[in-house]
Amino acid sequence: MAIVYGLISGLLFGYVLQRSRLCFNSGFRDLLLEKDNFVWKTIVFALALQMIVFPLMAQFGLIKLAPPALNWVGVIVGAFLFGVGMVLAGGCVSGTTYRVGEGNTTSWFAALFFALTGMATANGILKPLADTLTVGRITVPSNSTLFTENVGPNISTMLGVNPLIPSLIIAALLIVYVFATKTSPRPEAKWSWWQSSILVVIVAAFAYWSSTQVGRNYGLGITGGWIGLMTFLTGEGTFGWFPALIVGIIIGAFITALVTKEFKLRVPKDGKTFVQVAIGGMLMGFGAVFAGGCNIGHFLTGIPLLAISSIVAGVFFILGNWAMTWFMYMRE
Amino acid sequence: MELKVTKSIDERGEVCPVPDVDAKRAWKKMKPGEVLEVLLDYPLSKERIPANAEKAGHKVLAIEETGNSEWRILIEVQ
Repeated sequence: MAIVYGLISGLLFGYVLQRSRLCFNSGFRDLLLEKDNFVWKTIVFALALQMIVFPLMAQFGLIKLAPPALNWVGVIVGAFLFGVGMVLAGGCVSGTTYRVGEGNTTSWFAALFFALTGMATANGILKPLADTLTVGRITVPSNSTLFTENVGPNISTMLGVNPLIPSLIIAALLIVYVFATKTSPRPEAKWSWWQSSILVVIVAAFAYWSSTQVGRNYGLGITGGWIGLMTFLTGEGTFGWFPALIVGIIIGAFITALVTKEFKLRVPKDGKTFVQVAIGGMLMGFGAVFAGGCNIGHFLTGIPLLAISSIVAGVFFILGNWAMTWFMYMRE
Repeated sequence: MELKVTKSIDERGEVCPVPDVDAKRAWKKMKPGEVLEVLLDYPLSKERIPANAEKAGHKVLAIEETGNSEWRILIEVQ
């Protein structure tokens, strides 16, 4: 069942990512480079909707909220490196994963180096480095039945209130922001920015529920899935929900791209591009594991859980992204 | 539609956001009335470049599908 649930979540996510072009690298970067908020608003609206949907699902006993633990050095240094890496790789981890299925050969390289470095950081030769730099993984006792037993510090535990209260207030503010401010037009886009958000959240809710059913108490992520897939391929691990999610995303994006005539084996003219994306993949792999999550595990899933770790990581993902965007594309 | 293309850039195979950045750098150096041709195969840039060109005040003359996931965008610099 774990494989079926993971595969269904992945196929749906791959379809939605390919059609919506949802890439956090583009979302963060376009704000700075093009003063364009189209993809950014898709992300923010998805966060707001999940802040409403996740606590309600927990209220009905479908899931348990599990804000990730806080590792200060990781969510600052690791997240910054991750932000730099996504610019070099030409895509965040979700963007890179769906483009593997679209036929971008550069994404294959970025994904491979991401997964290998992630695995080396999680349980290989880079683990001692990450462990040395880690100053504790802070968790606190939960203050609500909606949470798992011990949780990463979050806005709800800090204020000592039911998670529904801060979630709904912040969601309301974000919704006012996305609908009351001007959105950059993108007439050629297949889906409107808010339509993409709604579909992402439907997938995220199904993924959180289905992964809980098979004993993994968390929503969408990608980093752990890639590491799980590599571990399985090297004969050390089993093929469960998480590796199946990754395979599902790639197949889902592949089928969608084939049907919409957007599949193509894309090869850059300059071979050096492969070196650039490989370095980007490595930075993302180390950064994501050290930070305790990537743009999906931390940004898309952890911020709606109001986790301090995910909020800080999110800020440093963006700062790393902006620093590298300026360095590569904005200097004359 | 046959137009006199002043400058053509081939962005096929480039990673995100290189097609967008190259297109922007190209039209900034061009004179009003000149036509920029962008060849590309990356779907996101196919949607983003026309939007950015119009925001910069230029006129998007055509977005043609020239093959499987390949497009040709024509922009008249204003």
